[in-house]
Amino acid sequence: MSLSDVRRPARRLDIAPQLGLLAVIVVLCVVFTLRQPGFMSSFNLFAMGRSLAVDVVIGFSQMVVLATGGMNLSVGSIGVCCVMLSGYLMQGLGLPVPVAFLLALVLGGALGWLNGFTIVRSGVNSFVVTLASSSLFSGAMLILTRAEPINGLPPLVTAIGSYKIFGIVSPALVATLLVGLGLFVFYRYSVAGKEMLAAGANARAAAISGIPVERAIIMSHVLSGVLAGIAGLMVVVRVGAAMPAVGGEDWLLPSFLGPVLGGTALAGGFVSVVGTLLGAALVTIIRSGLLVLNIGNFWLQLFLGLFLLAAVLAQRYRGIFGARRK
Amino acid sequence: MNALRRVITTEWAGLAAIFVLGCAVSAFLSPSFFTEFNIYVLLRSACVGLLVAFSQMIVLAVGQMNLAVGALGGLVAVLFGAMLELLGLPLPVAIVLALAIGVAGGLVNGLLTARTGINGFIITLASGSAFTGINLGITQSKPFHGIPPEFVTFGDSRLGFIPALLWPPLIVAPLLALFLYRIKTGRRLLAVGGNAHAAELSGISPGAMIVVAHAISGGLAGLAAVLAVSQLGAAQPEIGSTWLLISFAGPIIGGTSLNGGYVSILGTMLAVLVISLIENVLVLARVDPYWVQFALGALVLVTVGLNRWRAVRAARA
Repeated sequence: MSLSDVRRPARRLDIAPQLGLLAVIVVLCVVFTLRQPGFMSSFNLFAMGRSLAVDVVIGFSQMVVLATGGMNLSVGSIGVCCVMLSGYLMQGLGLPVPVAFLLALVLGGALGWLNGFTIVRSGVNSFVVTLASSSLFSGAMLILTRAEPINGLPPLVTAIGSYKIFGIVSPALVATLLVGLGLFVFYRYSVAGKEMLAAGANARAAAISGIPVERAIIMSHVLSGVLAGIAGLMVVVRVGAAMPAVGGEDWLLPSFLGPVLGGTALAGGFVSVVGTLLGAALVTIIRSGLLVLNIGNFWLQLFLGLFLLAAVLAQRYRGIFGARRK
Repeated sequence: MNALRRVITTEWAGLAAIFVLGCAVSAFLSPSFFTEFNIYVLLRSACVGLLVAFSQMIVLAVGQMNLAVGALGGLVAVLFGAMLELLGLPLPVAIVLALAIGVAGGLVNGLLTARTGINGFIITLASGSAFTGINLGITQSKPFHGIPPEFVTFGDSRLGFIPALLWPPLIVAPLLALFLYRIKTGRRLLAVGGNAHAAELSGISPGAMIVVAHAISGGLAGLAAVLAVSQLGAAQPEIGSTWLLISFAGPIIGGTSLNGGYVSILGTMLAVLVISLIENVLVLARVDPYWVQFALGALVLVTVGLNRWRAVRAARA
C-alpha cells in the first residue's frame, strides 16, 4: 500500500469542515457589514489582510509540527527572537533589509532545529521541550536586548508595510498565499513532505518502512522555526519597528486555532493548508468585527476560547455520527 | 546502610542536595543570604508556586495536563477581589466562594475532557482562553484594591523566618499525600494515570477520575490565587499569567511522570524551593531579572535530559 492510498479517504472526508468554516466566515462578514458598513471599507479590508497574513503564518508554523504528531509551544518565542535579530542587523549593523530578513529566518530555522534535535535525541515529548525552550529563547532575547524596542529601521521597512497592491491588498498577504501554495505542494507532491506525514501518522510503521522518522521530525521543527520567523518579520514590517513584546505567549492560542479549526489533527499524519488558512481567517474576522462594532477587545479572548471549544466539539461529534452512519 | 541507600536513590535526594549546596554557596557569596529576613523572603516567594505546582501535579497524576491553571487562578483572583470590594462579603465567605469557583472551573475542564474524549491539551487551552477572557472582560485589566487590611497583613506576617503564607501549602501537601496513597479514590486516580485501559478493566471509571483530578486542580489553583491576592495586596488581573512554566517545571523537575500514574509530592516541593532559591540568588546578585526566565527554561531541559539518561542507563543495566 503506497502512501497516497492511505491519504485518500481522509482527504475526501475532511473537505466538510472547510466548507463549514467558509459558511461561518461568510455569515460573520454579512452580519458585521450589516451592523457596521465600515467593515467592508477598503481601509478595513487592507488592515484585515495585513493581520490575516500574520495569523495564517503563525498557524502554518504550528501546523507543520502537528503534522508529525508533535507540538511547538515556542512559536511565539522564536518569532520574537527573529524580530529582534532583524532589527539589530538593520539598525545596529546597517545591513540591507533583504539580507537582515534572510539572516533572521536562518535564526528561526536554527532555533527550530535546536527544538527538533533536543526532542529526537532526548526522547522527551515535544510539549515539555518546547515549553522549556520557549522560556530559554525569550529569556535570552530579553537579556541581550534589555527589552528595549529598536525603532530606527530603514524607511524601506515602513514603505513595504504601507504599500497597497491595487489599493487594497497588503504585500504580506501575497507572501502568505505564496507560502501556503508552497506548503500545499510540499505536502502533496514532495517526498520530504510525505515522509513527515507518514512519521506523524504512525512513527513505528514509518520507521519500519525505511522512512527517516527522526530527520522528518527535526525538519518539521526547522520549517516551523522559519515560518515563525516569517510571521515575526511581517509584524516588523507592519509596525515599522522591532518590538520585544511581539509574539511570546500571545501567539500560543492563535497558532493552534488556525490548524485545529481547519481540521488538522493533533494526533499527526494529516494537514490541511486551506483549512488552516480559513481557520486563521475566522480568527482575524472575529477580532476585526469586534473592534469595528466597538465591543471591547477585552472580550475577544473569551470569544476565541469559546470558538475553539465549539469547533473541536463539532468535529468530534461529526466524527462520531459519521462513524455511526457507516 | 540500606536505609541510607534508599534515601540517596529517591528522586528527590538530588534536589535536596542541590538545594542545600545552593544555600551553602549563596551564604558563602553573599552575607545577606542567611539572614532571617532573606529566608522569609525566599520562602514567601515559593508559597504560591507550591500550590500552582500541586495543581498541575494532580492532573499529571491522572495522565492529563491542565494549561488553564494560570487562567483559572487569574479568574478566581479577580472574582475574589470583586466579592470583597464590590459585594462587601466577609472574608471567610469570600475565600470559600473563591475556592468553590476554582473547583467549578476545574469541573468544567474535567467534564469537557472526560465526556468528549478530546485531547485535554486543546480543551484546557480553549477553556483557559475563555477564563482569561472573562477575567479581562470583567476587570478591563484594572485591579481590585478593596482587600481587607487584615488579609494583606496576614500575607506579610511571619513567625521567625516562616511566612504565614507557607501554612496553606504545608497543610495541603500531607493531605494530597494522604489522598493519593491512602484513600481509595486517590489510588484509583493514580491507577488510571498508570494505565487507563487496565484500570477500566478492573472496574474503575477513567472519566470520573479525570473529573476528580481536574476538580482538585481547580480548587488548588483557586487557593493559589487567594494566596497571591494576599501576597500582592490587590486582586490583579495579571495573577496567573506567568504560572504556566512553573506549574510544569515544579512537578517535572520533582520527578512526577508526564505519562501519569506517578507523582512525587516532596520532589515537587523541593523543585519549587530550588526555583525560588535561584530567583532569590539572582536578585541578591543584582542580575538582570530576565536571567530567571532563561535559567528556569535551562533547568527544565537539563532535568528532563538527566532523567532520560538515567532511564536509558537503568534499562541497559
